[in-house]
Amino acid sequence: MTFLTPAFLLGALAVAVPIVLHFLRRERLPSVPFSDVRLLRGARLEQTRRQRLRELLLLALRVAALLLLALAFARPFVADRTEPRDVATVVLVDTSFSVSAPGQAAEARALAHAAIDAAPAGRLVGVAAFDDAARVVAPLSLARAGAHAAVDGLSPRPRATRYRDGLAAASALLGDRPGRVVVVTDLQAGGWAGGTGRLSAHVEVETRRVAPPAGNLAVVGIDREPSGTAVRLSRWGGSGENARLTIDVDGRVVDASVHQVAPGESTIRRPVVLPASGVVTAAITDPAGYPADDRRYRRLESASAAVVLVTEDRGRPELYLERGLAPVDGAGAFAVVAAPATELGRRPELLDEAAVAVLVGARGLGRAGREQLAEFVRSGGGLFAVDGPAAAAAARAGLLGADPGPAATRTHAEPLALVSADRRHPLVRALGGLAGRLGRSRFARTAGLDAADGAVVFSFTDGAPALVEHAAGAGRVLVFAADLRNDGNDLPRRPEFVPFLHEVVGYLAARPAHRGEYLIGAAPPGAPGEPGPARLPGAGGPVVMNVDTRESAFASLTDEAFLASVDRLAGGTAPAEPGGEAARPREAARPADPTPPREEAEQALWRYLLIGMALLLAAEGLVAARTP
Amino acid sequence: MAPPIAAFGSAGRPTNPAGVGAVPTAQTPGAAPRELSLLDPAIVARIGSIELIARAVVEGFLVGLHRSPFKGFSVEFSEFRPYVPGDDTTTIDWKLAARRDRYYVKKFEEETNLECHLLLDVSASMAYGSHPVSKLRYGCFVLAALAYLMHRQRDAVALTLFDEEVVDALPAGSRSGHLRRVLARLSRAAAGSRSDVAMPLERLAASLRRRGLVVLVSDLLDDPAAIIEGLRHLRFRGSDVLVFQVLDPAELTFPFEEAARFRDLESADEVPVVPARARRRYLEEMEALVARYREALRPADVDYHLLRTDRPLDTALLAFIAARGRRR
Repeated sequence: MTFLTPAFLLGALAVAVPIVLHFLRRERLPSVPFSDVRLLRGARLEQTRRQRLRELLLLALRVAALLLLALAFARPFVADRTEPRDVATVVLVDTSFSVSAPGQAAEARALAHAAIDAAPAGRLVGVAAFDDAARVVAPLSLARAGAHAAVDGLSPRPRATRYRDGLAAASALLGDRPGRVVVVTDLQAGGWAGGTGRLSAHVEVETRRVAPPAGNLAVVGIDREPSGTAVRLSRWGGSGENARLTIDVDGRVVDASVHQVAPGESTIRRPVVLPASGVVTAAITDPAGYPADDRRYRRLESASAAVVLVTEDRGRPELYLERGLAPVDGAGAFAVVAAPATELGRRPELLDEAAVAVLVGARGLGRAGREQLAEFVRSGGGLFAVDGPAAAAAARAGLLGADPGPAATRTHAEPLALVSADRRHPLVRALGGLAGRLGRSRFARTAGLDAADGAVVFSFTDGAPALVEHAAGAGRVLVFAADLRNDGNDLPRRPEFVPFLHEVVGYLAARPAHRGEYLIGAAPPGAPGEPGPARLPGAGGPVVMNVDTRESAFASLTDEAFLASVDRLAGGTAPAEPGGEAARPREAARPADPTPPREEAEQALWRYLLIGMALLLAAEGLVAARTP
Repeated sequence: MAPPIAAFGSAGRPTNPAGVGAVPTAQTPGAAPRELSLLDPAIVARIGSIELIARAVVEGFLVGLHRSPFKGFSVEFSEFRPYVPGDDTTTIDWKLAARRDRYYVKKFEEETNLECHLLLDVSASMAYGSHPVSKLRYGCFVLAALAYLMHRQRDAVALTLFDEEVVDALPAGSRSGHLRRVLARLSRAAAGSRSDVAMPLERLAASLRRRGLVVLVSDLLDDPAAIIEGLRHLRFRGSDVLVFQVLDPAELTFPFEEAARFRDLESADEVPVVPARARRRYLEEMEALVARYREALRPADVDYHLLRTDRPLDTALLAFIAARGRRR
C-alpha cells in the first residue's frame, strides 16, 4: 500500500480527540456513597457492561471513521511494480522539422534504435512516427529487424509537431495490452497545440530527448511595402554569422544580399518592387538550423478585394482605418467603402457587396440601421465594432447576447497595453510575433466591455477585455474596447496597426489576409506536403505552402512538464498550452514518474474509504441513539 | 415486615384475674397519632438524650398499645396469688387487700429469668442514610427502646456492638445503673469498618450458659449463608432469636436517576452505574436477598423482621413483645 499524499496521514492524530473526550466523560461521573455495591455488581455486569461496550463501540466507530477519513485524503493505492507478462514497447519517433537540423535526425534514429534494443527480450516492439500526422511504420512484432529497418527509413518532414496524435497512434498500436511508449523527440513546446488523440490509461510513457541545434534562423514573413519588400526573420540561438538572403519572383532571382541577423525578430527591407501577381520566395542561408524554415513563399494578390464598409461617426472620416485598409499601389485585400452611420437603414444596398462592416460610433444609427446590421451579420457577414458606443449599438442590435447596457469609459493614469488572452485563437496565431508587439501600444482611455457571452481574444494589462469575439448566426462580431483615431491610444500610429487591422478584418471576412497561402498540415485536401508553389483544384490559381514557423522556435519542454501533460492526456483533460509548460512551476514540480497518480486514479480507493466512513458514521448515529 | 397485631394478642394473653392493667379501649395502635408520633424516627431523632428517646418511644408505644382492642394483655406483671406465710410482705398489694379483705401478692414469675442479648451491627454500611436517620441511629433507637422496655420488666440486658470485630460489649444486668450504661454505649455508637455478622453470633452461641433472647439489629448486607448458619446455631442452643434487618428506603427502592459511580461505604469500591438500566436488576437482587433471609429463618423458628428507617419504631417493639410473650 502506497499513498499519493502521505502528509494527510498526520490527520490520523485527530483520533486522540474522541479518545480523550471518552475518558474525560467517564471521569466526570459523580461519586455517590452507597451501603453495599455488591448488589449493583450484577446490574453493572449486565447493564453497565453493556453500556461500556456501547461506549467502546462508539469510540471505535468514531476512531475508525477518522482513520478512514485520513486514509482517504492520503489517497492510497496498491503499487504494482511487477512488469506485466505481455508488456509491449512502441518507439514513437518525432519526424517534425524541429529535428531536421544537421545531426538531429541521426541522433533521433540512434535513440530509437537504442530504445528498441532496450525492450525486454521476448516482448513485442513496434515503431510509429509522428509530426502533424502519425503513422505506424513497424507494427508490433517480436522481431527487432523490422523495427530497426523502419527507424532507418525515417527522416524529418517539413511539418509541425503534434504529440497528441502521435501518442494516440502509439496507444492504438498497443491496443488493450499494457505497454510502454518511448517518445524520441526534441520536446518542442508547441507540440501540444493541436491534435485530438487520447492516450490509454495503462500506457507508460518515457522520453528520449534529441538535443536542439546550436541555433536556427527562419524566414517568417514577406510583406509588400510601397518602396520595396520587407522580409521578416527570426533567429534563435547561434553566433550570428552572416546569412545570405535571396528573393526571387516566379523562380527568377531578383535580389540577393548578405546580412548579419540579430537574435530575435528582425525585418530586412529590400528595394524590390513586387509585381501584382505571381509567387515571391525569400530564402536565407542557415547551415546550422532547420532547413525547412529557411524559405518562405507568398502569393502576390490579384484577386478582387473584399469590400469593407466603414461607417463614419458624424461624417468624420476615419483616417487611420481607411488608410490602413486601403490597397497599396492599387493592389490590396480590401476595398473600403465609407458611409455615415445614419445611412445604414436608409440605404439597404450599402451592405449588399460588403464582407465586413466596421462600425465606428453609433450616432445617428437608428433602429432600422441596427436591424440591417444584425441581418447582415447573421447571414454571414463580419462586424468590427470599435469603441464603446459602437459596442453598445451592436448589443442593442442583439448581436452580443444579453444587452450589457451602455459601455462605461475608463481612463487610466498609467496607460495599459494589449496582451493576447487566447493564444490558440486563429487571429492570434495568424498574427504570430506581431501579437506580442501589440503590447507596445499604450491605451489611456478604454471602454468597459462585458465579455460574459463572448470569447476574449486580447485583454488589457489590467485584465479587462480588449478584443472580444461574439458569434451571431452565421457571422461573427469583434468588439474592440478602444477607438482607432489616435485619440485615447497610440495603436493607429504603431507599425503593428496595419497587420493587426488586416488580420482582424480578414478574419471577419472569413478569408486570410494573404489569399492562396496555406500552412502544411492545415491545407485543404489535395495540397502537397512540401513547401512551395502548388496548384489546388478549384483554387483558381497557384497557391503557396509554407511551414508553421512556430515549430522553428527554440521552446522545449522539460521531461517532467512533458510527462505531466501526458498524464493529463491519459486522465482525459487537455494538456497545457504550448510554449508555456516549461515556464510553469506547477509543471516542473510534478513527479518524474507519472505512474503513481495514474495508478491511484485507476484504483480510486479513496472513494471506498469515504463510503466506509459514511457507513461508520451512520452506525455511530444508531448506537449513539441507543446509548444514554 | 411487621406481623399482624392479632398475633401478639393470642401470644401474650394476660393472666390478670382482676383485669388490672387491661386495655379495654376500641382504638387501634395505628389510630393514635399523637402518641405514636413519638414512634416516628424523624421526630424521635430530635430528642437529644437517648434515655429520653427510649422512654418516649416505650411510653408512647404502651399508651397506644393499652388502648388497643386486644384485652387482657399486660406486660407489667404476671399474676396475683393469695398470700401464704413466708411470702415477702413487700409484695402484698394493699389496695387489693382493702377491697377484697384478703391478701394478695404480685407475682413477677420470670422477671429475672430472661437474659436478653442485644447485638448491634455498627459496620460502615450501617452509616448509610438517605434521610436524617441513618440505619445505625435507627438501630440504636430500637435497641434503646427494647432495653428500656426490658428494664421495666426486670429483664437482664446484655449489649454487643460489632463490625468485623466486637467493638464494645456489656454483660447482662438488670439494675437501673446498667440501663444507663447500655443507653450510654448506644448513644456513643459510631460506624466502624467492614461487617462480619456471623462472627458475634458464633461467639455468643459459644458463650451462652442459659437460654435467653437474642436480638440482632443489622442490615445483614453480608454473606447470607454464614449469617443464617449463625442464627440457626443460636436457635439450636435454645435461645429465642429476633432479627431486625434495618434498611434505608433508598436501598429498597433505588430512586437514583443520574448515572454515577456508586462507592461502597465499607470497601470503597466504586461501580459506575446507570440507575435507569440497573434499577430493575438491583431490586430483583435485593428482593431475593430479603426473601432468602425470610424463607431460611422461618423454618428455623427465628423471628425475622424487615425495618425501614422511614417507618415508625413500633414494629420492633411489637415483635419484641410477641417474642417475649412466647417465652412464658
